[in-house]
Amino acid sequence: MKVAMIEIDHVSQRFQTSGRRSHLALSDISLDIADGAFVSILGPSGCGKSTLLYIVGGFVKPTEGVARVKGKLITGPGPDRGPVFQEFALFPWKTVLGNVMYGMLQQGMKKSEADARGRGLLEMVGLKGYETFFPKELSGGMKQRVAIARTLAYDPAVLLMDEPFGALDAHTRTRLQNDLLDIWDRQRKTVLFVTHSVEEAVFLSDKVVVMSRSPGTIKQIVDIDLPRPRRRADLLLDARFQTYIVEIEKMIDDRPDDM
Amino acid sequence: MSARVNTFLIGLVPIALVVALWQSLISFGVAPTNLLPPPGAVFGRLIQQLLTGAFMQDLAATLIRLFAGFGVAVVLGVLIGLAAAVSPAIDAVVKPLVRVLAPLPKVALYPALLLILGFDHASKITLVAADALFPILLSTYYGASMVEQKLIWSAMAAGTPRRQILFKVVLPAAMPSILTGCRIGLVISCIVVFLAEMITSTDGLGHMLVQAARTFQTVDMFVPLIMISLLGLVLNSLLHALRGYLLRGFPEV
Amino acid sequence: MTARGVLKALSPLLACIGLLCVWQFASLRLDTESFPTAIDTLKAVPAILTDRESIYNILDSLRRMAIGFTLAVLVAIPLGLLMGRIKAVADFFNPLMMIVYPVPKAALMPIIMLWLGVGDMSKTLVIFLGVSLPIIYHAYQGARAVEEKMLWSGAAMGMSARARMLRIVLPAALPEILTGCRTGLVLALITMITSEMIARQSGAGNILFNALDMAQYDTVFAMILIVGVMGIVLDAAFERIRLSLVRWSQPRGDMPLSFS
Repeated sequence: MKVAMIEIDHVSQRFQTSGRRSHLALSDISLDIADGAFVSILGPSGCGKSTLLYIVGGFVKPTEGVARVKGKLITGPGPDRGPVFQEFALFPWKTVLGNVMYGMLQQGMKKSEADARGRGLLEMVGLKGYETFFPKELSGGMKQRVAIARTLAYDPAVLLMDEPFGALDAHTRTRLQNDLLDIWDRQRKTVLFVTHSVEEAVFLSDKVVVMSRSPGTIKQIVDIDLPRPRRRADLLLDARFQTYIVEIEKMIDDRPDDM
Repeated sequence: MSARVNTFLIGLVPIALVVALWQSLISFGVAPTNLLPPPGAVFGRLIQQLLTGAFMQDLAATLIRLFAGFGVAVVLGVLIGLAAAVSPAIDAVVKPLVRVLAPLPKVALYPALLLILGFDHASKITLVAADALFPILLSTYYGASMVEQKLIWSAMAAGTPRRQILFKVVLPAAMPSILTGCRIGLVISCIVVFLAEMITSTDGLGHMLVQAARTFQTVDMFVPLIMISLLGLVLNSLLHALRGYLLRGFPEV
Repeated sequence: MTARGVLKALSPLLACIGLLCVWQFASLRLDTESFPTAIDTLKAVPAILTDRESIYNILDSLRRMAIGFTLAVLVAIPLGLLMGRIKAVADFFNPLMMIVYPVPKAALMPIIMLWLGVGDMSKTLVIFLGVSLPIIYHAYQGARAVEEKMLWSGAAMGMSARARMLRIVLPAALPEILTGCRTGLVLALITMITSEMIARQSGAGNILFNALDMAQYDTVFAMILIVGVMGIVLDAAFERIRLSLVRWSQPRGDMPLSFS
């Protein structure tokens, strides 16, 4: 049997809030994610979806259960699982190119090679000419492109995206969604994408993992059976696309009959 | 006229007013010249002194103590501040020590330093370092603890080993805070070195002041005061320029 | 309280004890007459505290400090607030202050003594000057940082400029102002000591240098200890007051970074 790319095995997460109180963020999550799949984790605020992502990223240790990548136990962060955060988290003291080259230099790549590859990546995300700019000089959308380029630079097998387009305006968000699909199409990495937007989840993913309110559990996993490549303009008029959205929204909502 | 020029000119007004007031006090005989020499005499004397070797030696002595003390304070302050921010063990030891030592007027230690380290450079450098240390340590600690967690996570995911995170991520990210602390530390260094030299010394700007006071040379008393003020201004501007360069990527706060 | 909580609360005390131990050890090692042991020093403390002359000196010091500090606060806060909100005022005073800042106010002692004599006035004046600057600076920064929108809301509610200053700017800038006052308090203590070390006449600094001149080394160190404790006590007391006034602005407390 082929080992899944990511295995989440009965993971629970409990946080100490203060003194004796604790908060159960995630409750007994088990999930397998296949290699090359684009999977969205969808749920209301506070359902622990980001926490789940951080556990897979190795930034947070689960209080119960284990997570594995390619069969190996996850004990910490690593270049096989690259994050992209909503806040961009770019290094303000480095230029755009400096940010992108960071991971490559950490891997021991030669400076000239990293430089060339970095420039190529920046061109791919549409930021040719901005190499010497500092992050503070860029718009939100551009910063996120740099963040994506920076993560792709060290060629992780898995992309962990934590509401990456949440801080952007609607128009920029749409553009980046399209660009992300283009990039993903070329490299077919495994993507774990956290969002609270149903439309975004359905548009981008192969599977949507619908989570419940806190404590987070998996309510349902929906297979999105829409052909690729996906064009937003076409899909918006597609009945299947709309049906998915309505059904999933009902799944999330506490009072689906009011909708 | 541009806004910047306007600002500059408005700022000159109080200074000009003070000098004018100064001069008028003399001219109208309100203040006797032996107590308050005219501005012309003071600045003339300053220029005159700048050309003498003895003055330069005093200035050099002050500068050596200033830079040595400040340097020690920066190195220690940044290292300890960073260490305490990232390691709970070190934090548990450092925090109470800082709480106890920081409000202590370090200048009260000066007699002790004189007894242990002698009357020359060492005691003064130590005093300067002790006084400048805490603002630098505290702002480093503060800056380092405020570093965005996701910056660290991004670096770790990119393959940075844990032991390198401190110098590759935390230190650069905390730089704005650190430089603010250094600015305060620098001013404190100027003040403390001058005071220490006033209290006991055989050379330096502070000593110059006390010496002039003893011999009732009021003009000579003003010279080192103006000198330390100028020194502070110049050093501050240099630090400001350095800050501008080091923090060129950071958004303006 | 948990064991950990007790340990944490006692930690400053433990730090003091630790420092005293290091001192004791170092003085025994160095074994010079000019570096008395911690124990000898501690023995000398009661001698100072029961000596009438010394107590008067110390009270004099504290009195000058209090007057200088109070005057400084009364002058510096309004000035700083005005600078923070009215650009012309800021532009006017900023360069002047930048020139004055690096000059140690205690260094003005000899000159001020020429003009005002060796009495209380000159020392109090110097303390006043020393404390004013940090408070002006912090009040300035605090007032600057007040959100425009708060003031607009106030204006819309019909508040006059004066009312806005007193009831919006002042409270909003209070955390920063109190930080400035804390620095000012430390500076008051330092300026007081140094002015007394320079112009010996009365006060704690005077006791220190008298003892130094008379080679009463344990008195010197004992006095340092007393002054140190004064500094710590004043600062701790001020912190208490400060925290109770600005609880609403406190960040969630210092947490070390997590690498896990």
